[in-house]
Amino acid sequence: MLPLLTRRFVQSLLLIFGVLVLVFLMVRLTGDPAALMMSRESSQADLEAFRERYGLNLPIWEQFANYITGIPRGDLGNSLRMRGVANMDIIMQRLPPTLELATASLLFALAIAIPMGVLGGMYPNTWIDAITRFLGLVGQTIPNFWLAMILIIIFSVNLRMFPSFGRDGFNSLILPMFALGLAGMGQLTRLMRSVVLEIRNEHYVRTARAKGIRPFWVAFRHILPNAAIPLVSVIGIQFTYLLGGSVYIETIFSWPGLGSLLNDAIQDSDFPLVQAITIFIAFFAISINFLTDIAYALLDPRIRHQ
Amino acid sequence: MQRIIRLVVASSFVLSLMLAMGVQAQDSPSGELVVALPSDPTSLYLPRAADRTAGNAAWSLYNSLLFMTDDGELVGDLATRWEISEDGREYTFFLREGVTFHNGEPFNADAVVATWEFGQDASNDYAGQYTSVIDVVVVDDMTVTLVTPEANPIFLTLLADNWAIIPPAYMREVGIDAFEAAPVGTGPFRFVERALGDRIVMEANPDYWEEGLPKVARVVYRIIPDSTTRVAAIQTGEVDIVNRLSADEVLLFAGNDNINVITYPNDRVYYVGFKNMGNGVDTPIMDARVRRALNMAVNRQGILNGIFAGEGVTIAGFTVSTNLGYDPSIEPFPYDVDAARELLAEAGYPDGFAINMGCPTDAYPSINEVCLAVQRDLSIIGVDVTLEFKTSNSYWAEPNYATVGPMYVDSWSSAVGEALPRLQGALIPGAYYNTWEDDTIVEFIDAIETTVDRDERAALYAALQQYMQDDPPFIYLYQLNLFEATTSRVEGYSPRPAENYFLKGVSVSD
Repeated sequence: MLPLLTRRFVQSLLLIFGVLVLVFLMVRLTGDPAALMMSRESSQADLEAFRERYGLNLPIWEQFANYITGIPRGDLGNSLRMRGVANMDIIMQRLPPTLELATASLLFALAIAIPMGVLGGMYPNTWIDAITRFLGLVGQTIPNFWLAMILIIIFSVNLRMFPSFGRDGFNSLILPMFALGLAGMGQLTRLMRSVVLEIRNEHYVRTARAKGIRPFWVAFRHILPNAAIPLVSVIGIQFTYLLGGSVYIETIFSWPGLGSLLNDAIQDSDFPLVQAITIFIAFFAISINFLTDIAYALLDPRIRHQ
Repeated sequence: MQRIIRLVVASSFVLSLMLAMGVQAQDSPSGELVVALPSDPTSLYLPRAADRTAGNAAWSLYNSLLFMTDDGELVGDLATRWEISEDGREYTFFLREGVTFHNGEPFNADAVVATWEFGQDASNDYAGQYTSVIDVVVVDDMTVTLVTPEANPIFLTLLADNWAIIPPAYMREVGIDAFEAAPVGTGPFRFVERALGDRIVMEANPDYWEEGLPKVARVVYRIIPDSTTRVAAIQTGEVDIVNRLSADEVLLFAGNDNINVITYPNDRVYYVGFKNMGNGVDTPIMDARVRRALNMAVNRQGILNGIFAGEGVTIAGFTVSTNLGYDPSIEPFPYDVDAARELLAEAGYPDGFAINMGCPTDAYPSINEVCLAVQRDLSIIGVDVTLEFKTSNSYWAEPNYATVGPMYVDSWSSAVGEALPRLQGALIPGAYYNTWEDDTIVEFIDAIETTVDRDERAALYAALQQYMQDDPPFIYLYQLNLFEATTSRVEGYSPRPAENYFLKGVSVSD
């Protein structure tokens, strides 16, 4: 198992370096932020001073070197828009709301996907399977930005059941959680159903049935643990998707997380901040992938002994 | 009998309690006002507050030496009166006694000095507003003189608009970065807390020096970048004030008694610029008749009606109706295709000509459509416009719009109630956004800059406006209306043409 982990770890490091280079270059393609950030009346000298203050006048190699050497120290540079506040401080303030929303969305998705998927898989071509397939389809096809607006109109404006924006306790979590989690719910439901459908024909399930074990226990003891293996890897992917893919949902619901921060930073051409958030999310995603690999190996002896 | 007495005593007690509460409600601040902000303020320290949104939120915490009323009149704020020296370079302010900062520090001349010193810090966006004062002389504890390098008629306006007075001891102790995290002023509200991207909370300053102000006990700014969500949030009553709405969005409020819509023309002019330098040299637009013809060929009202649902006004120049020196007798160019053709023929271009025009893609509301409309209108008189769409990063990256033109579309706002900043920025040779050199215009601007008397200055603006019609350096397009909305429980909210507002006089009923 150790060689596998080492290999994965080295791969992760390479991936992070690749992301760093890519982000650094891509952000710079968009041009010079000085003219954009400074007010209309500022003079040429003010613009020069701005470039100098943020190191934008240095050769690109030097900028890259400064940036790379800062990262191991947790220094992701300073925001242009927030005038010198450390990007890391800003990100740390915005991380908890995003983690909260992503976790809630994932739990919501799992809470529906696992029971529905198992039922659908256990009883194919029945009415309950029809519901399962319908849920899977709806979840995967409804665009979440559209859903978000519809949810606000129905549940906030018309029914006044939930707040239309912001992060004020559990009530305000419901709508964004639903909007963000629905797609994952659809994908996980379909995955769960097809995996269960496959496993229920395995010999060990037939044996269990033949022993006279009740259907619930067959599902719980024999089907679920085996279905968990593909599920774990998809959950890992889903979680990283929820972290990075929440830009639009967070913006619509004014959720003060990393997604809305990224949206602001892009709009303001605050490229040190865009860079920092992208790296942070990439780092998070790669770490989760790494952890998923470990979990995968722990769950499946065949992988461990490869 | 005893029961009656008890009843009378009880009811009179209740009555007096109600009366007391009534009196209380009138006198001391009450209620919570929730204001939606379209973006998260960069800073609550004014020299670092990058835009209007940030400035509006920040000003609740501070006072300046002077205050500009809704009518554009300058009145004393932390200064009770002031004197200007003969040469217009020295401004002496007599400061208000007995004012304290939120942290208990007394307000005095030293506070003005500290405001000036820290304002100039190179890390501030608007350091220039402070370096324009070359010295601050403390005459005595409550008298201070500000010295400027030359006479500047809008200096007092800039002072009122920018100089938020800060507590000297606190600032010297903690520095600007820490001050930003916990700002302190003398203003009607004091800072409570801020959560980035989420909210800023302030509460009424119990020791505020203006009698009867502020009127609300608590102000919560909520950051809501998406305008659809702002619309929803005011419909549910979760927020009381929203701005930056579109004409389509306020239509949703029709027939809703709980929401009041506020509409006003923004102090921002949209125009097509010409260059008589760079790639504009020796092109047909050097001829004033051609520029007048182009002005007459553009159907401004058609653009407003077709693209902006009629929500805006056509303009006759850089000085608009809310600016000092606006002369209503100078009307916008008429839309007259025949006259335009004649003028072009007179100038020697009976069949028109071909020219390039820059367009700042998506930088302003529906600006791409406006560029296309101008292109189409000009094609009718034979002027074949090639549009150059550029994103804002490259559009303004070089001085003098070097990457586009010789014609280009742009807009310019003013926050001082006068057209001076945009006239200086666009028409003084050497300025970053200057593309037109005209000695007469420069003389007019010089005269406006150095004339302190308001009436004289107004006359100069009107004369310049007439000159800039006869020999137009721009195609003047339009001013757009702004839309805001408040819940019906809000009273006293009045945003100004530059989108700025003050919350001290705003009240909420329950």
